[in-house]
Amino acid sequence: MKNNNNKVPKLAHLFFRWYCKKEMYEELHGDLEEFFYERVKDKGPFKARLLYIWDVIRCCQSYAVRKPKTQNTTIMMLNNYFKTSTRSLLKNPLTSFINIFGLAVAIGICLTVYAFMDFEYKIDQFHANKGQVYLTTFYTNRDGSIERYGMSPAPLGELLSTDFPQIQKVCRVEESNVVVKYEDEVFHETLTYVDPSFLEMFTFPLGKGVNKSLNDLNSIILSHDMAIKYFGDDNVLGKDLEVIFSDSNKKVFKVAGVAEPFPKPHDLGFNFLIHFDNLDYARPTNDLSNWDQFITATFIQVNDPNQIAGLEEGMEKYKLLQNEKNSDWAIESFSLEPFVTLYANSAEIRKAIVYNGSAEGRIALPIIAIFMLGLACFNYINISIVSAAKRLKEIGVRKVIGASKNKIAFQFLFENIFVTLFALVLGLLLAVFMFLPWFIGISERSMELNFFNPELWIFLSIVLVFTGVVSGLYPAFYISKFNVIRIFRGSVHFGKKNPLTKLFLGFQLIMASILMTGAVMLTQNSNFQAKRTWGYDPNNVLYVELPDSSAFNRLEAQLIQNTNVVSVAGAIHHLGNNHTTTVIHQPDRKYEVDRLSVGPKYFETMGLQLKAGRFFKDHSENDHAAIVVNELFVENLNLSQPIGHVFEIDSMRYEVVGVVENFHLYNFYYEVLPTIFSLAETTDYKFMAIEVKSGAQPITYATLKKDWAVLFPEIPFQGDFQTRLWDNFYKDLQTQKTFSTTIATIAILLASLGLYGLVMLNVSGRVREFSIRKVFGAETKNIIKSVTNQYVLLTVISMIIGAPISYVLNKALIGMMFPETMQADYFGAFIAVFIIVSVLLTVVSTQIFRVVKSNPVDGLKME
Amino acid sequence: MGRTYLGEFEELVLLTVGVLYQDAYAVAITKEIIEQSGRSVNVSAVHKSLYRLEEKGMLESKLSDPESKRGGKRKRIFSITPFGKRALDESMDLRTSLRKQIPDMAFKWQIG
Repeated sequence: MKNNNNKVPKLAHLFFRWYCKKEMYEELHGDLEEFFYERVKDKGPFKARLLYIWDVIRCCQSYAVRKPKTQNTTIMMLNNYFKTSTRSLLKNPLTSFINIFGLAVAIGICLTVYAFMDFEYKIDQFHANKGQVYLTTFYTNRDGSIERYGMSPAPLGELLSTDFPQIQKVCRVEESNVVVKYEDEVFHETLTYVDPSFLEMFTFPLGKGVNKSLNDLNSIILSHDMAIKYFGDDNVLGKDLEVIFSDSNKKVFKVAGVAEPFPKPHDLGFNFLIHFDNLDYARPTNDLSNWDQFITATFIQVNDPNQIAGLEEGMEKYKLLQNEKNSDWAIESFSLEPFVTLYANSAEIRKAIVYNGSAEGRIALPIIAIFMLGLACFNYINISIVSAAKRLKEIGVRKVIGASKNKIAFQFLFENIFVTLFALVLGLLLAVFMFLPWFIGISERSMELNFFNPELWIFLSIVLVFTGVVSGLYPAFYISKFNVIRIFRGSVHFGKKNPLTKLFLGFQLIMASILMTGAVMLTQNSNFQAKRTWGYDPNNVLYVELPDSSAFNRLEAQLIQNTNVVSVAGAIHHLGNNHTTTVIHQPDRKYEVDRLSVGPKYFETMGLQLKAGRFFKDHSENDHAAIVVNELFVENLNLSQPIGHVFEIDSMRYEVVGVVENFHLYNFYYEVLPTIFSLAETTDYKFMAIEVKSGAQPITYATLKKDWAVLFPEIPFQGDFQTRLWDNFYKDLQTQKTFSTTIATIAILLASLGLYGLVMLNVSGRVREFSIRKVFGAETKNIIKSVTNQYVLLTVISMIIGAPISYVLNKALIGMMFPETMQADYFGAFIAVFIIVSVLLTVVSTQIFRVVKSNPVDGLKME
Repeated sequence: MGRTYLGEFEELVLLTVGVLYQDAYAVAITKEIIEQSGRSVNVSAVHKSLYRLEEKGMLESKLSDPESKRGGKRKRIFSITPFGKRALDESMDLRTSLRKQIPDMAFKWQIG
């Protein structure tokens, strides 16, 4: 034992022998041993051994370590590929930059789109029971076309739970706007009435309180945001909130729970939850067992999704009940929409509780991303083919030494993936620090790239391999095919006249022209939409929402004294805010129209234009059976003599007394629909429209708010300039403009980078030729011709193909977004082509300039 | 030829090699530095500096006879070259001259 303790530790010694240079072993280990023996004496063997191990580790540094001699040829080859790749990248910094930067931008865009799509597909997918929850929907015939609706007849929920044992849970949902009061503060809020099963069906965990409290009619559950809004960080549970359903209906609720913050990708959510039966209290006149009442949604939960088909069949019997009672909403069939797909399909379901507003984005963005990646890949292919000319000798030598064709191809693929890796890292940085924040800013979605999510890494590696292989495969095989003897004889000619290079460049130009045309046309369209008229005059109108039946008269009395006020009108529905739909009965068909109930002075106040007949008369009892219709209504129903025509609505007879010019009820995303106006009772007014003298809007608005505060201290003021209703719409237009212009700019940037690289390589490869031409007296224009020749024809052909394609595609896209678009003409495509051609000319001319300016002597002296 | 710079620790090693004169090898140098400067120094750091200084041409070395106290192994004895001396002198001169240029005022601290 003792003997052993006085020797250096074996393992550490072996390790030292293994890494240490042979010629230095003696002196170095001598030093270590000397220390060791001394320490054995001074500090004891145990400490000495530990310290020796420590020394061995410390000595493992470059001066002592022998250089590795690897035996593995694959690794050696990879090392060599790596070295040559780095060298050739560094040798041509500009082309390398074009390649890497182009790919990085494209990958950055791909990642941003990935974040968007990832967010989109995660919306509402966090609910534990999502696979078992379904929304009841129904189909109904709207003047010949079958439409699907997401709302549900009020009695449906109760019947479903009693009639079908296979349904585990039913949850009815109704939403309404109320005023919520806490101490002295009042706010307008959206309130959700739900069956207590709501919190079991959907995964909205409560941070405070228990799910069961929803059974209590006097309990209210708040979302996280609402708890903060009303109570800040205070303890919330047990606090009283007063809900004002209407002026005569108020109820105090106790806060019984606060939900955890909702996951970011959600569409279904709530601000305030109360028990569904509170609806009886809030709307005493409504009978929820009546089939002509609709509620926002009815959800069901089943154990076994296979039962759905049977359920849908079983629900057929409700059709009769509904159709008997409410023939305007005659149901063709019921259908159950899985909650999992509800958000994705919600654009197809009318009046569904969940609404997907980004259907276009889901289609357009991935296409844009693929376009961009395509552009960058084509750049890469072109540049690597042409720049291979500079590496012919290397390829030749490799082949002579014995590299097979596959080895060479592998080398170039490897190099390519190496470059792509660079681009990937750069693209990731671009996405995280530039594209994503910008895109979040314009789309107002809080998406993110979650780096702990394995899916992201899978996506990244797919992008890496896909981009690397797609952009590298062709050049790799093209280059590896060259014949060695011809390489060394110098008779390999390529790059200049490769048809594929041209084809790829052509593709790039076409893509760029599609995106550019899109940008130009969207900009044109925005300008067009911004200049459109609304069919009435919103500029001088203010509006305000009324809390109760006496409010109109009280406020009117106040406003009449104001000299800035031109006229005041009341209405149940207000342009830009809301409407209802109703069904017109004719002998042979039923016809759905939009309906607005307004006071007699509403037309003049809003500036609606009369085309024929008259508006409603003031204080005329007869006019309660009169309607005013818009032009489209007349047109669609083919009325040759509209005035005096009689229709049946809700089993009452109405006579058309007037026709107004078509007007836009909402912003221009919505098309003009056939619309009727009927006369509203003063006590039913929900809105007041106020026409003021031009220029007096802000001051009247301020006075109005002041008057309001005096008249209705309990009710928060809710009104605005009529024109502000479209602030969001105009912002949206602006966003489209910026977005498409940015994308198009990047596309042109990529295409021109590619072209620049090509022209530059082409010109550098022909320096001698140009010099000789110059020496023999070639004129500038001849040289320009010989540089540009091959590109002119290509550009012309690409544009001839590209312009019509861009025109058609973009017209379709804009047509998808706006029902009524500008008179689209070729002008947009023409401008786009013009922009592209001028950018290309600029790019090519920089190289021409170089050739023209160069001294032929320098060109001939080379090599 | 540009100046050859001496790192602070390198300078220390170079000086110690001179101090130990004929007995300057890694172990002795390490101990000497520990003793004189009070720093904790690992032999590997000294090795590194020694070989680096030899590369720079400021030191030269030869192997001694085997010794039993180090397991019958030879040791590498270092000695300063003229170039090493010049580097040391230049370094010292620079310091001295800089030190002399500091005005007395700089050392008159006012308290408060």
